[in-house]
Amino acid sequence: MADVNLSEAEKTFILHSVQDNFRDDGRSCEDFRHMEIETGLISNTNGSARVRLASTDVLVGVKVQLSPVDPENPEVGRMEFFLDCSANATPEFEGRGGEELASEITALLTRAYGCPSTMDYPSLCVLPGQQCWLLYVDILLLECGGNLFDAMSLAVKAALFNTKVPNVTMTKDEGGIELDVSDDPYDFKRLDVTGAPLVVTVNKIGHFHVVDASEKEEACSLARIMLGVTQTGTITAMKKEGSGSLDADSISDMMESAKKVGVLLNKSLLKALGEEEEQGTEAVGFLR
Amino acid sequence: MLTNKVFIKKTKSGGVMKIVREHYLRDDISCGSPACDKDCEALDRYPLEEKPISDSKLVPVPHYIVPDTNVVLHQIDILEDPSVKNVIILQIVLDEIRHRSAPIYKRVKDMLCNSAKCFYTYCNEFNMHTYVERKPKESANDRNDRAIRKAVGWYADHLIKAGIEVVLLTNDADNRKQAVAEDLMAFTVHDYVKSLSNQSLIDRLANPLNQSSDFGGKTLFPEHLGLAEIQKGIRSGKYLQGTLLISRENYLEANVSVRDQENMVFVQGLYNLNRAVNDDNVVIEMLPEAEWSCPSSMVMREDDAKDEEDEANESMTDTETLIRNKVPKELRQPTGHVVGIIKRNWRQYCGILQPSVIMERTRHLFIPAEKRIPKIRIETRQAQTLMSKRIIVAIDSWPRNSRYPLGHFVRCLGEVGDKDTENEVLLLEHDVPHANFSEAVLSFLPKMPWTITEEEEKRRRDLRHLDICSVDPPGCTDIDDALHCRELENGNYEVGVHIADVSHFIRPGNALDQEAANRGTTVYLTDKRIDMVPDLLSSNLCSLRCDVFRFAFSVIWEMTKDADIVKTDFTKSIILSKASLTYAQAQIRIDDQNDHGNLTKSLRGLNSLAKILKKKRLDNGALSLASTEVRFHVDSETHDPIDVQTKELRETNSMVEEFMLLANVAVAEKILHEFPDNALLRRHPSPPSSNFGPVIKAAESKGFEIDVSSGKALADSLDKAVVPENPYFNIMLRIMTTRCMMQAVYFCSGMLQPSDYMHYGLAAPVYTHFTSPIRRYSDIIAHRLLAVSIGADSSYQDLLDKSKIQKVCNNLNFRHKMAQYAGRASVNLHTHLFFKKRIQDEEGYVLFVRKNALQVLIPKYGLEGTVFLNDENKKSSSIFVYNEEESTQTAGDVIFHVFDPVIVQLSIDRSNVQHMKLSLKLVKPQVPGFSVPSASESSEQQEMDTSSGTSLSSKSNADVGKPPQKKKKKR
Amino acid sequence: MAGMELLSDQGFRMDGRKSNELRRIRFKKGVFNQADGSAYLEQGNTKVLAAVYGPHEIRGSKSKALHDRVLINCQYSMATFSTQDRKRRPRGDRKSQEMTSHLKQTFDAVVLTELYPKTQLDIYVEVLQSDGGNYCASVNAATLALMDAGIPMKDYVIACAGSFTRETPIIDINHLEESSGGAEVIMAILPRCDQIVFLEMNSRLHEDHLSAVMDHVMAGCKDIFNVLNQQVREELVRRTVQDSLVDSG
Repeated sequence: MADVNLSEAEKTFILHSVQDNFRDDGRSCEDFRHMEIETGLISNTNGSARVRLASTDVLVGVKVQLSPVDPENPEVGRMEFFLDCSANATPEFEGRGGEELASEITALLTRAYGCPSTMDYPSLCVLPGQQCWLLYVDILLLECGGNLFDAMSLAVKAALFNTKVPNVTMTKDEGGIELDVSDDPYDFKRLDVTGAPLVVTVNKIGHFHVVDASEKEEACSLARIMLGVTQTGTITAMKKEGSGSLDADSISDMMESAKKVGVLLNKSLLKALGEEEEQGTEAVGFLR
Repeated sequence: MLTNKVFIKKTKSGGVMKIVREHYLRDDISCGSPACDKDCEALDRYPLEEKPISDSKLVPVPHYIVPDTNVVLHQIDILEDPSVKNVIILQIVLDEIRHRSAPIYKRVKDMLCNSAKCFYTYCNEFNMHTYVERKPKESANDRNDRAIRKAVGWYADHLIKAGIEVVLLTNDADNRKQAVAEDLMAFTVHDYVKSLSNQSLIDRLANPLNQSSDFGGKTLFPEHLGLAEIQKGIRSGKYLQGTLLISRENYLEANVSVRDQENMVFVQGLYNLNRAVNDDNVVIEMLPEAEWSCPSSMVMREDDAKDEEDEANESMTDTETLIRNKVPKELRQPTGHVVGIIKRNWRQYCGILQPSVIMERTRHLFIPAEKRIPKIRIETRQAQTLMSKRIIVAIDSWPRNSRYPLGHFVRCLGEVGDKDTENEVLLLEHDVPHANFSEAVLSFLPKMPWTITEEEEKRRRDLRHLDICSVDPPGCTDIDDALHCRELENGNYEVGVHIADVSHFIRPGNALDQEAANRGTTVYLTDKRIDMVPDLLSSNLCSLRCDVFRFAFSVIWEMTKDADIVKTDFTKSIILSKASLTYAQAQIRIDDQNDHGNLTKSLRGLNSLAKILKKKRLDNGALSLASTEVRFHVDSETHDPIDVQTKELRETNSMVEEFMLLANVAVAEKILHEFPDNALLRRHPSPPSSNFGPVIKAAESKGFEIDVSSGKALADSLDKAVVPENPYFNIMLRIMTTRCMMQAVYFCSGMLQPSDYMHYGLAAPVYTHFTSPIRRYSDIIAHRLLAVSIGADSSYQDLLDKSKIQKVCNNLNFRHKMAQYAGRASVNLHTHLFFKKRIQDEEGYVLFVRKNALQVLIPKYGLEGTVFLNDENKKSSSIFVYNEEESTQTAGDVIFHVFDPVIVQLSIDRSNVQHMKLSLKLVKPQVPGFSVPSASESSEQQEMDTSSGTSLSSKSNADVGKPPQKKKKKR
Repeated sequence: MAGMELLSDQGFRMDGRKSNELRRIRFKKGVFNQADGSAYLEQGNTKVLAAVYGPHEIRGSKSKALHDRVLINCQYSMATFSTQDRKRRPRGDRKSQEMTSHLKQTFDAVVLTELYPKTQLDIYVEVLQSDGGNYCASVNAATLALMDAGIPMKDYVIACAGSFTRETPIIDINHLEESSGGAEVIMAILPRCDQIVFLEMNSRLHEDHLSAVMDHVMAGCKDIFNVLNQQVREELVRRTVQDSLVDSG
């Protein structure tokens, strides 16, 4: 994250305003900033999405590949995350500067989606015990404006919603089983993302907590929890971060907020994605 | 406007790739019709006619035709007919044709270039108005059909004011139905052709596969496997893929040359061949070892004209018996059977109609001239008129329930036996391009009168002061080489070989160059010459005629009196030949004691040096093999051969040959040095010792040992194998050795290891062809390479690309082989004409002993014939006993070995009109019940008006040995 | 896909363009807020994002600072989903390093470096979708980003790639044409002064054709320049009018 230098006065203002359920840009503690989502930007991926959360800009592309199954789970498909912090976001990400952040976020997302109930993994299995679909979810961080985790998980879910997995026909032969991928671009199946989690970050500022912190607010917060929340309110992953400490009560409060916010966020995301698909216009992307 | 084409592809490694391609749509594509009143771009030349004349009763208004893909693929012969014009080939149709059949694609492209045909390619995929996107649940084929209909609809709208209709031709019923629903005119090809006033086209209609006629008949052949199954089988190793080569001796047996495998797989019998035709790309499955078989050592004879059903029964039983005969284990070869066909390599075949018992039937059998192709069933109403003519037929399909493939008539060539027709058949069957040079090609010839410009004079060395002369066969008009020799002050000789500078006139890449590259070589038939380059160049501007200035590419050596080379120089030059001599004239001059002219001194110098060079070569291990050389004397009026004379070889032949070889070697070394990666060279691989089996065996029978360990050893042992009482023995041994040789081929130096460059026959480490650019394309490439290396000309991209040079070599090798076959076939033709009126007894020698025949060589005519030992009707058992190990046939007291002298009677067997055979009957030694009495010795001695002499070539594989033919054929 | 002809007999390429036609170019300046200058450029299906930071103090070791010029620091990186086959590493491999140094060389020549001594200018290029002409799109996008950042330059830098097939030079080649094995000539020029800043050629090309191809590529660059320049000026006029309206209103 880019360094933000805050003066003492600003820090105090933020602390106090949070107590009154005010934030420096006028939101309440559980409000999200203005966000824009668009899918289907990158035509040579199987699915893609771009999320712009105020000044945080994230682009996700999903590519599918046939690959051998994981020996420990031979009947399910797999998903692999990869995050690239582009230097466009901040010069500090040049070269290998963003790797630490990348590994953190990737780990959390892997855990969040690692729970079998989040995605219909068995449907991604093509040949039990041999071949399955491997989804490469590649995230590109283009601009940092605070609350990276949330934005990325939104983009990932949107991209997975947009993903079209080609249908495979199997033919039996003496030499083995042949897999034929359909070459018709309209012959695909969509992924069911209703169970996919969204990460909600709750920052502790003073004695209160806020959701979707801007960079300034993040600079004031000493501790935060990231929770992966699904549409039904189930929590799939949790992580506490920051140099500060939290006591058990605050954690349970924060978790309650996060769950409430997460459920609403999931619903509105799916609604927006459905509307976008109905419109069916060509993606504009960065040209707007 | 931009759309994206998206499709999913599966990669070889099993990965899945989504391919996205841009697709720009434009609105500036012209419709190609001059009658268009909308604002289409004005073209300089409109491919379509303004008022297309309508010939069809179905469509009485002027119209253009739009065929769909299958129509073009199957009915290409109809489209090629000159009366079919104003056809629009859509881009989508053209692309599909390119993917499915390369030869048909080429033919379509030729038609598109031919302005008389009025064909036009319309790029419907790039036009905004006619592009269609694939809909969900729509297959690729449906989408293509929809695109075709959309294009036709657009055209119809576009030209509605001009009053021209657009007609869709498709045999797909579904497509037609939908087209009619969209208000378009659509017909099947058959309906349309039948409605034309030109009824001859109906004969040309091909039978598509799904219309396999009602033979009623049982399914005779197993089904061919589908492509997917074949691919899986090949991947798993269960099936093998290769090219089918039907045996020349037995049309029911074939070998499959499998990719990546050295050994061929044998396939025997009609059932196992499973409708595969010669040269097809087939998929075979190996049979279990117990069923392996071997080629029968019989020579299969021609089947007489039999009725179809009879033939079917007979052949099937034949094969059954063949299979039942258990073959001994040692002789078994890996055998397989055909399970599927990957690619058919059908072409058009020349031949005749089989006389059918019932003339009124429309279905007839066509017998191709090529013995390896089965008979073809065609439908034609013109059977009466075509009966005695040579015709061309193309194969359409071979359904499972038909004994023969189905085809259609293409065109008629002329009367059987008529010399021009037969020549035409010969050329077509050997794929020799013999059409007149097109306008495009002729446009690149230099304009006459041609003079030497000052610029050229500066760039070339002026050698017009030298005493250069050329020595060639009599009547030669394309002189490509000239020589000179003179003494220098230091006692050494300066020798020059000057070759016609063809590469100056034929610039790389233009139509003239492409046509020459395609032809590859000049083809010599006994009475005709098919030139590689137009006459203006070959007989005039390039030809080094005497008393005119000509451009040449010169190789000039300084050598000692002992023919040791001191210096070699290459240069482009201008020469003035002082005399165009024949071999005889040159020899006379050399021998004339009183002639001390400079030119004669030059000839003498060349002669003595040549002798030394020859000796050096032979010492080095060069082979001198024999060929039977004869000359036909041709009657000047009827052009029928009158008599035969063996060719004399003079010193002067050898003299020219030596220097040509020297020049070729010098150039080869130079261009290899400059272009190690892409020099065009000629190699002659040394034959494997197994090839020499028959020669060694034959020599052993007379007590001689042939050492085949090296070229020199072979040459020496051949020299020693002389039987004083039988001078022809050594010549026959050499003839047999010639047949063991491998074929010499052109190749690109970058494609092989240097150790493979050698020329076995000439015992030279590198060799190329340089000295005959007028009649060989390889020499033109060698000229270009040499010119670049001495800085006399600029190079061009393709010259430096080794894979392109290798492609050129492959084509040249093919054309060279075909030219040889054509030449031999032409000789056969003339031989048969010669014997048409005679029956003669001649001396001969037994060359090979076979199970049911003796192959006899007749030196006087340089002919080889077969004396069949079994009786024709196979009723009585053979009186001859065959001993395979000793290679003898015994009948009572008489034993026939290899090399035995015999006397045979020659006559023409006319039972098969297409393949008139030379029939040989044994006269001496007398075998009761078999030999025939000698013929009366009344040979007609007609006046010998020699106009043109023609020469017989021998059946030599390599071009080692004394070259025959009008023009010296260099190795 | 062997056997595809790059230029058909009718003069059309595989995507329907003629030999001297460019792909569709769309771009937008000022895509990001935080970067000092940014631009997004699409050439056909090649989509590139460029961001410029600076001039600012040298990051890292101070010894790298140049006493009389600005230090231009470039980074070229490709998104892992940008290519047909998924790329494992977005940057750091040899190809990206080479591209980076090419970009640096190109912009060193064109930015007025003397104006900012002892500082550093960062140019970051991110390729979102790659379909041929990556370098060209990167250079064009970076030029726009530099303009957006207000960095003074001598001129636009416009790059274009061309190839040669069937005796005709073709320009603005896409990935399929690049990988067909023919020669590839990449050129970056300053269009108004006709100066060549970067020139690279791959594979083999006969010298007789080189000047023809170069002329065509240069013409292609000028065409791209016209497209970019026109839109940039229109935008500038529109914004000036807007601003003046705002001021007056």
